[in-house]
Amino acid sequence: MSQSLLINPTAFEAGMIAAAQARAANGAAHQAAIDRFMRTGLPHRRMEGWRWSDFRAALRTERSSTIAVKAFPSSHFAGLNPIEIRIVNGVPNIHSDVDIEGLRIYSGKPAMAPEYLDGLPIVALNETMADSALAVIVEDGVAIERPILIRHIATSGAKFSQARVTLGKRSKARFIETYESSGGAFLSAVTHVSARAHAQVGRYVFQISDEASVLDGVFAVSLSEGVVFDQTGVALGAKLARLETHVLHADGASQARLSSAALLSGSSHADFTSRIYHAASKCTTRQKHKAVMTEKARGVFQGKFRVERAGQQTDAKMTANALLLSDEAEADHKPELEIYADDVECAHGSTTGALDEDALFYLRARGLDEQGARALLIEAFLADVFDDVTHDGVRGVFRECMEVWLGGVR
Amino acid sequence: MLNISDLHTSVDGSEILKGLTLEIPAGEVHAVMGPNGSGKSTLSHTIAGHGAYKVSAGAVTLDGDDLLGLEPNERAAKGLFLSFQHPMEIPGVQTMNFIRTALNSQRKARGEGEMSAAEFLKAIRVKAKLVGLDDSKIKRPFNVGFSGGEKKRMEMLQMAMFEPRFAIMDETDSGLDIDALKMVGEVVNTLRSPERGFLIITHYQRLLDYIKPDAVHVLAGGRIVKSGGADLAHELEKSGYDQFIEAA
Repeated sequence: MSQSLLINPTAFEAGMIAAAQARAANGAAHQAAIDRFMRTGLPHRRMEGWRWSDFRAALRTERSSTIAVKAFPSSHFAGLNPIEIRIVNGVPNIHSDVDIEGLRIYSGKPAMAPEYLDGLPIVALNETMADSALAVIVEDGVAIERPILIRHIATSGAKFSQARVTLGKRSKARFIETYESSGGAFLSAVTHVSARAHAQVGRYVFQISDEASVLDGVFAVSLSEGVVFDQTGVALGAKLARLETHVLHADGASQARLSSAALLSGSSHADFTSRIYHAASKCTTRQKHKAVMTEKARGVFQGKFRVERAGQQTDAKMTANALLLSDEAEADHKPELEIYADDVECAHGSTTGALDEDALFYLRARGLDEQGARALLIEAFLADVFDDVTHDGVRGVFRECMEVWLGGVR
Repeated sequence: MLNISDLHTSVDGSEILKGLTLEIPAGEVHAVMGPNGSGKSTLSHTIAGHGAYKVSAGAVTLDGDDLLGLEPNERAAKGLFLSFQHPMEIPGVQTMNFIRTALNSQRKARGEGEMSAAEFLKAIRVKAKLVGLDDSKIKRPFNVGFSGGEKKRMEMLQMAMFEPRFAIMDETDSGLDIDALKMVGEVVNTLRSPERGFLIITHYQRLLDYIKPDAVHVLAGGRIVKSGGADLAHELEKSGYDQFIEAA
């Protein structure tokens, strides 16, 4: 057993370390991951990048399960006729009959995450604790018409799920991912996608945990030449929910578009953190984030564009806008550019504000009641996030999700 | 129809309307004219119910029903319409969807049935033509990228769609060219009826060339200081407002 570097671990951390050590060790890599976790323990507010999302504090106390699950049943997806896979409490379970040429789905051994995720303690913990990993392989030249629905579900305790996706050259696939933690569970999910040349990949994310749960969903994708990666996500928050997206423009010109919305009420917390690495020339990134917070909710956005020396003629733009509907709601935005190339076009912008009182009066003078007028303006604020979704059915589910949330906003 | 008596209104703690009294019977068009800062916009916003305009005394009734105790949307449902001097641009809100939602909200509040999508589409096409807005303009986010004149046309389109019982037109003529002024005149004259009233708030006489008012009132220092017939507007155009500013 290696020396623990962690001074004063919390009960949760000590329990995790003991559980990880007790598992049949998968050799040196397994031990290395435990060591990586033990360097810091759970990420906390004194660590760079975690100031607003303190997992150590969120998981310190006994997790209560008294708060009802926010209703957005996954039956919403049924109309999309998806290929459904559930990873329930870490165990992959393929629910649809899949006999599609060029598509393989199976449960495999867990694997180590790519190197650029090494700095993430929860990813290290996931590597030591996951029992199995979902594997999805789309072969070269294959286009999968039905969306592939991957549901990460945790219902109690601390659960770890893993997925690895390989998209062949010129393949085409759309993934819907849900993060559903309830009953005070802690869910850590790590997904790694490798998109080979000229693949087209869509990713649609729905974070629909309850307010007692804690979630860390890490998604990393590496893009080869000519790949088009298109992502839209919505977060309804949790006790603490963090969705991380890591995009590596690895070789050749590729395109990434990321849109996200946080719809937060009560005391829920959602954190969208992204790192877009431009390591090849002529890559394009477009990122847009919108957050609406009411009551005591807190929305965090941390977006970073890193442009390596090799990333000449990168074209990358990021905007983050927050709408605060109460005095106690909070938005924390940290847009960042880190550029080592000299011929690039990079920009970022961030705004925070309240609903425009004159616009509200205008709508009310036309006959809309206060709630209707507010809902219309909030919807207008969010509209372009969902308008970007090219799949009509999926866009419809995003809109339903927004409407359900708006219906509960006072 | 619309009765305003001894109305006192403050904005940010300073009193703007200081005992304004005005009565506009059904079937009539009255114009309120006044210099800058006389309280014209305060009057329109108070009647429509903007929260920043605090009423400390007085009453406003429409057909005998108190308006001041109602929310802005309840006033709209009663048939009150305000054409804004500075209409909003609302990105992300589709024009047709908004006007239909507004119209049906009013109808619902009055206990009337909703207008179907087909009926609505038919009606808005006809009225958009009347106000000179082509199809592409009403299929866009509300007022986004519109010129000042186009925004006023959008106000007139809504007025034509809602067919209000009482309409206040707050400096609708400002920023309009002759063709647009004619259009405004046409819309008002089309809607003029024995059951409907209009209050036209303006700085200049020129809109009144197209809409002949039944009465003209001069607003200065937060009160109506003079009332007369349509000729009063021409008189003001010649002599200006100075005499009233001094008197107020």
